[in-house]
Amino acid sequence: MKIRFSILGAQLLLVLDIFIVFLLLFEGKLHIPAWLQSIGRVHPLLLHFPIVILIMAMLLEFFRFRKDIASNAFYKKLTYYLLLSGTLLAGITVFMGLILSHEEGYAGDTLQWHKWTGVAIFFIASIIYFVRNSSWYRSAFAKAGAVVTVLVIVVSGHFGAAITHGDNFISQPLAVYYPEPQVPFEQAVVFNDVIKPVLVKKCAGCHNPDKLKGELILTDSASIMKGGKSGKLFNHEAPELSLLLQRIHLPENEKKHMPPAGRPQLTDIEAMLLTRWIQSNKIYFSGKVAELPERDSLRMVAATVLQPPGNVAEVYDFDAADEKAVAKLNTDYRTILPLAKESPALAVNLYNGDVYSVKQLQELDGIKKQVVSLDLNKLPVSDADLKSISQFENLRHLYLNFTDITTTGLKELLPLQHLQSLAVSGTKINYKDLIAVLPGFKNLKTIAVWNTPLSGAEIKQLQTANKHIQFIEGFVDDGSDKLKLNPPHVENASMVFAQSSPVLLSHPVKGVEIRYTLDGTEPDNIKSPVFSSAVTVKENTVVKAKAYKTGWFASDVVNFSFLKSTIKPDSLRLLYKLNSVHQAEGANTFFDTRLGVIGANNPAWANNWAGVKHSDMGLVALFNKPVTVSSLGLHYMVEEETGILPPGTVQVWGGADEQHLKLLTTFNKAPLPAKKEKPTIRIMQSSWKPVTVSCLKIIATPHEKDKKLLLVDEMMLN
Amino acid sequence: MDNEILEHGFTWNRRRFLSAMSLGIGSMALGSLLMPELFSSGGADEEAIKAGLPHFAPKAKRIIYLFQNGAPAQQELFDYKPKLREMTGTEIPSSVRGTQRLTGMTSGQSSLPLVGSFVDFKQYGNSRAWISDLMPYTAKVVDDICIVRSMHTEAINHDPALTFIQTGSQQGNRPSMGSWLSYGLGNENKNLPNFTVLLSRGIGNGQGVYSKLWSNGFLDSIHQGVQFSKGEDPVLYLRDPAGMDRKARREMLDNLSELNEISYKEMGDPEIHAKIRQYEMAYRMQTAVPQVMDLSKEPDHIVKMYGPDCLVPGTFAANCLLARKLSENGVRFVQLYHQGWDQHGNLPYEIAKQAKDVDQASAALVMDLKQRGLLDETLVIWGGEFGRTSYTQGKLTKDNYGRDHHPRCFTIWMAGGGIKPGIVYGETDEFGYNIVKDPVHVHDFQATILNQMGLDHEKLIFKHLGRRYRLTDVSGKVIRDIIT
Repeated sequence: MKIRFSILGAQLLLVLDIFIVFLLLFEGKLHIPAWLQSIGRVHPLLLHFPIVILIMAMLLEFFRFRKDIASNAFYKKLTYYLLLSGTLLAGITVFMGLILSHEEGYAGDTLQWHKWTGVAIFFIASIIYFVRNSSWYRSAFAKAGAVVTVLVIVVSGHFGAAITHGDNFISQPLAVYYPEPQVPFEQAVVFNDVIKPVLVKKCAGCHNPDKLKGELILTDSASIMKGGKSGKLFNHEAPELSLLLQRIHLPENEKKHMPPAGRPQLTDIEAMLLTRWIQSNKIYFSGKVAELPERDSLRMVAATVLQPPGNVAEVYDFDAADEKAVAKLNTDYRTILPLAKESPALAVNLYNGDVYSVKQLQELDGIKKQVVSLDLNKLPVSDADLKSISQFENLRHLYLNFTDITTTGLKELLPLQHLQSLAVSGTKINYKDLIAVLPGFKNLKTIAVWNTPLSGAEIKQLQTANKHIQFIEGFVDDGSDKLKLNPPHVENASMVFAQSSPVLLSHPVKGVEIRYTLDGTEPDNIKSPVFSSAVTVKENTVVKAKAYKTGWFASDVVNFSFLKSTIKPDSLRLLYKLNSVHQAEGANTFFDTRLGVIGANNPAWANNWAGVKHSDMGLVALFNKPVTVSSLGLHYMVEEETGILPPGTVQVWGGADEQHLKLLTTFNKAPLPAKKEKPTIRIMQSSWKPVTVSCLKIIATPHEKDKKLLLVDEMMLN
Repeated sequence: MDNEILEHGFTWNRRRFLSAMSLGIGSMALGSLLMPELFSSGGADEEAIKAGLPHFAPKAKRIIYLFQNGAPAQQELFDYKPKLREMTGTEIPSSVRGTQRLTGMTSGQSSLPLVGSFVDFKQYGNSRAWISDLMPYTAKVVDDICIVRSMHTEAINHDPALTFIQTGSQQGNRPSMGSWLSYGLGNENKNLPNFTVLLSRGIGNGQGVYSKLWSNGFLDSIHQGVQFSKGEDPVLYLRDPAGMDRKARREMLDNLSELNEISYKEMGDPEIHAKIRQYEMAYRMQTAVPQVMDLSKEPDHIVKMYGPDCLVPGTFAANCLLARKLSENGVRFVQLYHQGWDQHGNLPYEIAKQAKDVDQASAALVMDLKQRGLLDETLVIWGGEFGRTSYTQGKLTKDNYGRDHHPRCFTIWMAGGGIKPGIVYGETDEFGYNIVKDPVHVHDFQATILNQMGLDHEKLIFKHLGRRYRLTDVSGKVIRDIIT
């Protein structure tokens, strides 16, 4: 049996050899039936067997003539059968490969290399098989033959793999860790940097010069224009019907959908890029993305995949400074920061005019190459100091706002040829010198010149003379926008006083004239007195004030109520609960000299308003020593819309103690507000014949119980 | 017993040791396959800890965020809807409202009539953007700002929405945007806090702001927002008590820091170092803050630009002026809150007042930064936490109505800092109710802001309680279309 198999095998091998030579000679005339195609497609599966078996056989063959094993019968047999079966399988694999290579989509150099090295394996192995028992076949031949066979197997295997998986299949995952530098938006070319990467990633696996599926190559512009078996890719009459678009937009389960089902599909963005590219009907191969119109859809989609312009760091041609040196130069008032991680460029900011000296700039000698931005705003930098700035040869941005420089000094900055922006707002630069020095800054793009002696006309002339520079002006008070002053303030800590109080009015704007009245009339800027510090009030007084300044509209009139309250109870107690949201300081609210403001429904304003709605406002005031009282005032709020009204009735009771109280007075009714009347704060007061008491009871009822609110922030007892 | 255990230890022979070890190595190998970062000594975290520099060259170095707290109605300010005006009084079509969740304040309303703006709009600048007559000064700087009309958020009530826009999460306890930036970028001026907060309020219906909005969350407490108040002491407790001079203070701090260093060696709590640094900064702030906060030297033309209120501490205008001064002095993030934009009712009256409070100063801030050449590197943001409904809340009368909360769309604007000037981005439908073009989610907005500051929102992370946190949580994309 064994002998029979070996003879049969040897004969089969010879037949295969001849058959393959025949096939190779008449390759051009082959017509392959479908069933044979299927056999051909087994090639990628079968090829692994001859590779492994032949390598094993060659390993054994290599050591065949070693003394200690040369006579081993098993070794001999094993080598023989491995070699025979390996060579036979190699032959069958070559046959299948030749059939497969005739299918569409296989062409190119890689295929040729694979084909001929594969054929070579088969024939070298066949030759070894047939001559290995000749008398001249010695150790040297065996070793050389084995080495050559294995080498050719490796080479052929490599080319085969390259056809199936692509060129850098193995090294590709590594490439992820070393991403290629992205092209910045400005430099990106439509085809090379936007379209081609999509084609290479998702299409070129099958449509490359080596694989040519559908006779289509998608790796270079000429082949793309040529199209494939099914015709041209582009339809210039109706771009949206272009073949390429049809194929990528077919449903995925459609046979002609590209990329084929099972292969990585185009992402939405990728599909959109190809679509917009073809729809534009200009099939850009050389144009830059940035040259497309601003609102062009291809440009906008491309912008999302390209490195965004905002993130393109300027590439600097100098090395980073020593980190330790930079750290040493950083002080509390001098900050030196790299522009970004791994950027060699530094930004220097100096703060605090009190500690500034030019030495702070001179000390930066060690990093003068790296400084690209220098912020000296509001420091007493003089013209002489600018020489020290000129050492920063790579400076791009310089801020000198509100420094002591003049244009004469700017000459010193001329060595700064990279300077892009210069801010000299609030300095004493002048036209004459500036016009001479500006053309020297070739790369200057912006200069801020607001609040300088330059007039608008001069800036216009400078602009005409220096078209490449943008001149930044700013707000000029030409009187066209006349504003209304805000009303005066009162500075008194409290406007509730015992005997007398100075009136302390002020206004935040310098040079304002405050006019006021004490008699309740509207102040004006003719009759009403100008406020000075010498105004004093001795009784309840409403101070009305208004602010005036030339170039401004007068302010609104503002009212300040000064309240006299000579007597302060020693202890206070509420008879009824206050409204839950208007607790203020409880019983102490009424004599704490703190006044509320309008807007009491708002939590932040509620603090000083004590309020009742469902019960009366009842207060008992006790005095350690008897006091003589003759009047009581209530300071209350009226806000018609929200139902805050004056009290209904107010009564004051007095006596030696709580058990012996007599009614002292009942207040006259306060006038009710008109419908929709603006909110106001009012005073109501009632007096009686002086009486000495140790206890007072004050009862005020809401205008309408359970419906209207009564809010009181202070009472005045005299 | 102890001896037996000890003895057992000695009875291990070589074979047993090796086989046990191979099992150990095997399981470690398996483990490393299942948890890829098992042996990477936490490289990603180290990266995070080393934060303090931008990931790439930034467009903006500083941010001023003019937060309009309470949610300004887009229909009355920036989103011009003539059709809505025509349809005033008609019921909102259910196709427009869809399945939108309403707040408890209007869900019980039997009718939801549409209401158009009571105020007129005009077009301004080269961008021909529509701006309401309530914003005459903003209209003047329209070519310097980028109006985004398609912002949308997830929350429907003030606190969660505010917290969401500030911290990227509705629940709170996460670091505020300013804290993230402080963490990501470090100090520019070591004598001032990186993140400062200024509050003001208008006459309109207000909603509270709380210090949790400028909290550092789980970040080092050095990154928390410092509130500057309007009183005599803008920063509380910064002033030395009577009788203590600078020298004494210095000695006291030196000694205190020695003590703190000792307890750090004992406990190892990094918060101790944060504390030392905060004391040091407070010491330097003692001289730096009064210089910055002094408004008395501001010239007349600045007062005219910002409006006379800019000299009244605690007003929005004064805060805008202070924001410029702080920003100019290297404060990375100045956060303003202006309260009073919650116009559920009485909208025409209140919004006019609110707009007057902020319009001039907001525009002045943009102009002022620009004229100093600082607008290129300073990002100004103006906006609230959500929008307001196109139907009325409460009774609709000829001259009075209200609007309820509306998270589906709202308008903000940005200026400077590498944002395209003079553009209008995004679009809402004719009712101003749904976004029809270029929606910008709050996380997209945050991602864009970080991007302008040179930070990749997916890389600015902090590991806390076993999870990596970002300002943009797990979503967000940079809106490239509005970047120069």
